[in-house]
Amino acid sequence: MADAFCPDCKRNTETVFDHSAGDTVCSECGLVLEAHSIDETSEWRTFANESADNDPVRVGGPSNPLLTDGGLSTVISKPNGGSSDFLSSSLGRWQNRGSNPDRSLIIAFRTIATMADRLGLVAIIKDRANEIYKKVEDLKSIRGRNQDAILAACLYIACRQEDRPRTVKEICSVANGATKKEIGRAKEFIVKQLEVEMGRSMEMGTIHAGDFLRRFCSHLGMTNHAVKAAQEAVQKSEELDIRRSPISIAAAVIYMITQLSDDKKPLKDISLATGVAEGTIRNSYKDLYPYASRLIPTSFAKEQDLKNLCSP
Amino acid sequence: MQIGSEQVWLHMAQYNLEGCQSVDLAEHPSGIVPTLQNIVSTVNLGCKLDLKIIALQARNAEYNPKVCTGAKSEEQSKLAARKYARVVQKVGFQAQFMDFKVQNVVASCDVKFPIRLERLALHHNAFCSFEPEIFPGLIYRMKDPKIVLLIFVSGKIVLTGAKSRDQIKRGFEQIYPVVLEYRKVPQIGNEGKDSRDPVPRQLT
Repeated sequence: MADAFCPDCKRNTETVFDHSAGDTVCSECGLVLEAHSIDETSEWRTFANESADNDPVRVGGPSNPLLTDGGLSTVISKPNGGSSDFLSSSLGRWQNRGSNPDRSLIIAFRTIATMADRLGLVAIIKDRANEIYKKVEDLKSIRGRNQDAILAACLYIACRQEDRPRTVKEICSVANGATKKEIGRAKEFIVKQLEVEMGRSMEMGTIHAGDFLRRFCSHLGMTNHAVKAAQEAVQKSEELDIRRSPISIAAAVIYMITQLSDDKKPLKDISLATGVAEGTIRNSYKDLYPYASRLIPTSFAKEQDLKNLCSP
Repeated sequence: MQIGSEQVWLHMAQYNLEGCQSVDLAEHPSGIVPTLQNIVSTVNLGCKLDLKIIALQARNAEYNPKVCTGAKSEEQSKLAARKYARVVQKVGFQAQFMDFKVQNVVASCDVKFPIRLERLALHHNAFCSFEPEIFPGLIYRMKDPKIVLLIFVSGKIVLTGAKSRDQIKRGFEQIYPVVLEYRKVPQIGNEGKDSRDPVPRQLT
């Protein structure tokens, strides 16, 4: 029921929308005001447990500008039931001639997508990594190197460029078979290639402990109060002369903070969440311990609590 | 010493001559002299060599594709090359001594103050590569002279890729004022940040 202007009655009358015919009809004189209305609600519902052979979707995925022709392609589908023999003999063979020029690109994109999903990365980072791979993929110098390492390095660079860096160890954990060293080398190589291509040097800032803190803390399930204190402590630690990798410093700060709170995390958990070895966390803690009073904000722990902090 | 069919590669050894002698400030305005650590040179013996025979007959020779280290300075490097040429001659080959050339000189030194690598990498982005996760030192690729410097937080610097001692000297004199600019001030009681710091820190 809606109000619309009816030209016959020459005033606003109540109109009825007839769903079956798609007409808007004036309830007083019966004049059809609008016919052939387009229903924009969803045509069908898809459930996860239903079989995949009856998928009524008529369109493919979004067009990908990185592929030639935007990834358009036409495939000959299998006929229903019966003549599966026919298909695999002639038509099937013709279909699978392998004429797709982007075959390797598509495979690479799929690998990057798998790695990104394992890490829970958003589409922006995935797309950035795809772009980077595309720029590097047709260089001959790539062929000699480990493909997994190159893809992992593309993902690593994409994370850095989007200001959401992931440690090389985290990338290692989802890349199959690439070692930290290989990824590091591949990353240097790609950065050099990109700089040559772009004609100017790439803006990729150095990593800081603070970039990773939020994520490590949430892996460990720390309270908000503790997380804030840890972030402040890490900020202050940048001014000190501590010669350790930023990840190790982050891990040691987390250890210090959790030791001060009620919820003490064992070294093993912190080691697992950050990827830093237990021995390294202990050593970094040893370096940080003398400055504990300056690092920990007073809102989190008082002087006497700091005295309770175990000496390394 | 590595012997290929004609060319001989000599990797010369470590040595620590800590300079106790006084430094000529006209030559080294920074007051610091880099100490040479390694020199790699090649010489062309001018004849084909049979590696197996040399390995079996010559004393102190190992047929081992891995590098063996040796020398102390360019002159010693040349002397060693001549000695080996003589050894090869004694084994029976017609060895000559042609085109002796120093290929790589490695030196190290210490500026004696800690350095802020991150800021240096930020401001000299075009030349520097600093990845604390991968390697704790900053890699500075100088264009002129074309050498690579590894700069560490402690203030120790390694220079490599030079073809001569003069390149090392020039390279170091060029990097010294740069590194002075990024000296880390000892922080006891001093919480203040460098007023020139233009980069705002952001919390994630």
